[in-house]
Amino acid sequence: MARVEDGTLLAGQGRFAADAAEGAHQVVFVRSTEPHADILGIDTAAARAMPGVLGVYTAADLGLDGARLPVLTTPNPAFAEATGFQMAEQRIPLLATERVHYVGQPIVVLIATDRYRAEDAAEAVTVSYRGRAPVTDAATALEAEPLYDHLADNEIARIGYSFGDPENAFGRAHRVVSGEYRIGRHGAVPLETRGAVARPDRRLRRVDLTTSTQIPHLVRNAVRTVTGWAEHEIVVHVPDVGGGFGTKANVYAEEIVLAVLARQTGFDLAWIEDRQEHLLSAAQGRDQVHRTRLAVDGQGRILAWGDEFLVDVGAGSLWVAGIVANTAVHALGPYRIPAVRMSGRAVLTTKTIVAQYRGAGRPEAAFALERTLDAAAAELGIGTARIREINLLTDTDLPYPRPIPYRDGEPIVYDGWDYRACLTKVRDLLPETERERLRAEHPGALLGYGLGCYLEATARGPYETARLRVLDDGAVELATGAAAAGQGHATVFGRVAATALGIPEDRVRYRPTDTERLPDGIGTFASRSAVVAGSAVHNGAMRLLDRARALAQEVLGGPVEYAGGVFRRGEAEIGLGGIAAHTRGDPTALDVTETYRPRTVTWTMGVHAAIVAVDRRSGMLSVLRYAVAHEGGNELDPEIVRGQILGGVAQGIGGSLFEEYGYAPSGQPLSTTFAAYHLPLSTDVPNVAVAHLHVDTPDNPIGARGAGESGTIAAYPAIAAAVDDALGGRIHCAATPLDPGLIHGALRKAAVLA
Amino acid sequence: MKPAEFTYYRPESVGEALHGLATLPDPKPLAGGQSLLTLMNLRLARPATLLDIGRFTELARVFDDTEALVLGALVRHRTCETDPLVAARAPLLHAAAGHIGHLGIRNQGTIGGSLAHADPAAELPLAAVTLGATVHVESATRGKRALSAEELFVSFYANSLEPDELITWITVPAIRPGQGWGFVEYARQHGDYALAGAGVLLSLDARGRIAGLRIGLLNAADRPLLFDEREGTAPVLGELPEPRLWEGLGWRLAALSEPSHPDTEYVKALCASAISEAAEAATERAGENT
Ligand SMILES: Cc1cc2nc3c(=O)[nH]c(=O)nc-3n(C[C@H](O)[C@H](O)[C@H](O)COP(=O)(O)OP(=O)(O)OC[C@H]3O[C@@H](n4cnc5c(N)ncnc54)[C@H](O)[C@@H]3O)c2cc1C
Repeated sequence: MARVEDGTLLAGQGRFAADAAEGAHQVVFVRSTEPHADILGIDTAAARAMPGVLGVYTAADLGLDGARLPVLTTPNPAFAEATGFQMAEQRIPLLATERVHYVGQPIVVLIATDRYRAEDAAEAVTVSYRGRAPVTDAATALEAEPLYDHLADNEIARIGYSFGDPENAFGRAHRVVSGEYRIGRHGAVPLETRGAVARPDRRLRRVDLTTSTQIPHLVRNAVRTVTGWAEHEIVVHVPDVGGGFGTKANVYAEEIVLAVLARQTGFDLAWIEDRQEHLLSAAQGRDQVHRTRLAVDGQGRILAWGDEFLVDVGAGSLWVAGIVANTAVHALGPYRIPAVRMSGRAVLTTKTIVAQYRGAGRPEAAFALERTLDAAAAELGIGTARIREINLLTDTDLPYPRPIPYRDGEPIVYDGWDYRACLTKVRDLLPETERERLRAEHPGALLGYGLGCYLEATARGPYETARLRVLDDGAVELATGAAAAGQGHATVFGRVAATALGIPEDRVRYRPTDTERLPDGIGTFASRSAVVAGSAVHNGAMRLLDRARALAQEVLGGPVEYAGGVFRRGEAEIGLGGIAAHTRGDPTALDVTETYRPRTVTWTMGVHAAIVAVDRRSGMLSVLRYAVAHEGGNELDPEIVRGQILGGVAQGIGGSLFEEYGYAPSGQPLSTTFAAYHLPLSTDVPNVAVAHLHVDTPDNPIGARGAGESGTIAAYPAIAAAVDDALGGRIHCAATPLDPGLIHGALRKAAVLA
Repeated sequence: MKPAEFTYYRPESVGEALHGLATLPDPKPLAGGQSLLTLMNLRLARPATLLDIGRFTELARVFDDTEALVLGALVRHRTCETDPLVAARAPLLHAAAGHIGHLGIRNQGTIGGSLAHADPAAELPLAAVTLGATVHVESATRGKRALSAEELFVSFYANSLEPDELITWITVPAIRPGQGWGFVEYARQHGDYALAGAGVLLSLDARGRIAGLRIGLLNAADRPLLFDEREGTAPVLGELPEPRLWEGLGWRLAALSEPSHPDTEYVKALCASAISEAAEAATERAGENT
């Protein structure tokens, strides 16, 4: 079934940021060409004199000297206390003035009549640098001189906790396996790059900022923090957004500068990022190294688990607290683990800034744990399915408390049903025997089968908002604080509202998010929208209905029956539109803004299975079959849930096989075009069989669980495991993207080359 | 990603184009634009003048000559890939063209543009040197000259043309009885540039022994590498074409390559595989083509 959005999007009638740019002047940023350097001088004179150039500005010219990006998340105190979480202050400037910390960092902003002239002018701006040593590796960064003057070293956040008696368990275990696992730096790379349009209104003293974001309210708040403007002076609008996946759940210097510049110049301004700029300067993700230890008994039961990880957040991350905490929490996995020693650090390097790319710590944690489990299975000579069977939590274990709080400070209690059922189910969907069957079709390849489990906390608070308003014809206008970035919010939330109100879905009009219509909200990320925004919509609709019922009783003079948007009392009736007309004098009568606060997160568990072909001659990989079985809540739209899984798997395959932001030893980024940054193509992604095992959750009124990141998390370990299996254990893949050169080397050593 | 300022001309004839190349400031011919426009958008190329030759229908034709196939410089990759004449007379060129990028790129990109662009990872330059193609060029002041494909390629993205010269025609020796060909490449993704690839043109004598052998490698040096009877393949002349022989030859020739890829050992191994796989295919086809 088509989504509500599809008609316009497929007909090319979407309205994206660039479509809102008509009549606006073009803005381009002059970006650092150096990974790490002092700025000795900035000369904008030549650029100013060029034809079509309307202005060239440094931070000082805009009064933004010293202005910084506000961080987007700080840890809950109870969580920080329990997990030893600490973080240092980050000082990421809006426009660099004294020192640059990555190639692509904005330094100067300029306005021209079109993008061609703007790029000509950008070339004419001269920034003189005195180079400093680049730092492109997290381990090196720990030893290196501090990259920021206000810091004593490059460690920007740390976490460390333990429970049970891990050292004792490591001491007396039947086996302890250890490993080092690396997940490469890559990112969301949405179809639509970043972009924003700012239109100032001098009389109203406000700026309307249309930006391709997942978090309009946080963008607005950041603009206000930097400028001190009142809430009504900056209104953020979300256009159609062509994908975000976390890279747009970030506040960018470019957005804030654009708003300030529009206000100061009085010009309507558009900044539409091009692809090279995106690959250079939009927030990236992953880039973690985990050193693991796993103690098991003779049967393969986990006795203790240790993970010591390092996150490279580049020149900084407004989400560092989220990434580090997510990693440390999700590294506990869906297993019975009695003792844990966990420690993690985030470090600064001279690479591009980092945000929460789909999974944000979860895929990295799953890669470390799942790969270590596979290593233990190999060591014990038991199958990879068997070791999971033994350790996965079942209906007798669940609900399963963990002795640390979640990031919201609430105690962790896994609220699933039977995680082993997901393993059984995925092996039904994609049995290992399928590998044997496929061998005949692929004589030139070695085939392997791999599994990966994940557990993800979804539906993170603290809250989300929705506003519902009855229009004069009885249709209901709906907006949510969680902004749409292509997920299908209009379809899903429209359905939630229509169901609650008992009206046809086509009577709900979903309005894109803006911060005027809905002054409070958080955003779309962290597998949260369906549950938290969906619950706000549901509760808001119920409240709207209560109000309408009370008004209908007033009008009709007594108790009423309700069905399909119409209240009846005997022969007399009045519809929602009728009540709206009746209460015209009080426009708030049928206009409800609802805030939903989840008690805590709800957990989604799943298992991925993959069959991968390794070409005997080249060591190159192709994923032939893929299946996902997951526990989920009420599916508000089964096709959209499936789509989330499929898209997630595609991104996981991309990260496992191809995608990487590479850096030269000189610190220069190597992946600034699609000739160097390889996205998965349709030919790289097989059909994905998906099974949804329904597990109700009483925690929210719509019974939903999050699923937005599930598809990505376990893809990396499942694919890596399949390669190990294809080579009969002659390799243990420990780093992504998987390196065909390394695999080829293992093939040659084993002389299994055809 | 917008080009620096340039002036655009669309000459009406080859003569006009040649005149423009000789007289206009810093001119560049624009054919399919699939390499040049990208470089301009990245501002890695910034010609002052673009001469758009893309619509000269005259140079988009393919002729069958007695011993050769003659292709205009503007023959699209897609034509090489689909034209039955190319498939019959220059099957290696035909096979190689199908590996270039994606359909939209093959619809636009031209053989003249690909040869002039001189990318050592590209398929058509490899096919041209393997087949011993001749490149015909013309200039307004010095008239016509012909050079071998090998002479055209100088280094990474550098050809031996003078700035006022235009490639007009390419002649490719047609496949002869007793000859077999092979083309194999290894790319990580569909449509991607290959990490390694080999073209093989093999001639067998009446006794089934190797009478001639040309082997080209792509992405193995700063230009397409050719090994022929003068250089590299002489030791196997007169031998029986057997898999063991090809494997040994593959490794020997691969050792002479200088891949720019950081994992040189891997790429050399791929070159060796590509050679033996393509040579086996060529052996089989030579046997059938008597
Ligand atoms: C996404 C993408 C993927 C690609 N993948 C591949 C691939 O896998 N393999 C591959 O081989 N190629 C690939 N290409 C490049 C493609 O084959 C180009 O078409 C080709 O390299 C250049 O041909 P063109 O006609 O487009 O030339 P243009 O881009 O128009 O010109 C290229 C150069 O040749 C010069 N030139 C053009 N015609 C003549 C002439 N008649 N005489 C003298 N000089 C001339 C131009 O001045 C310019 O310097 C890819 C391109 C893209 C955009």
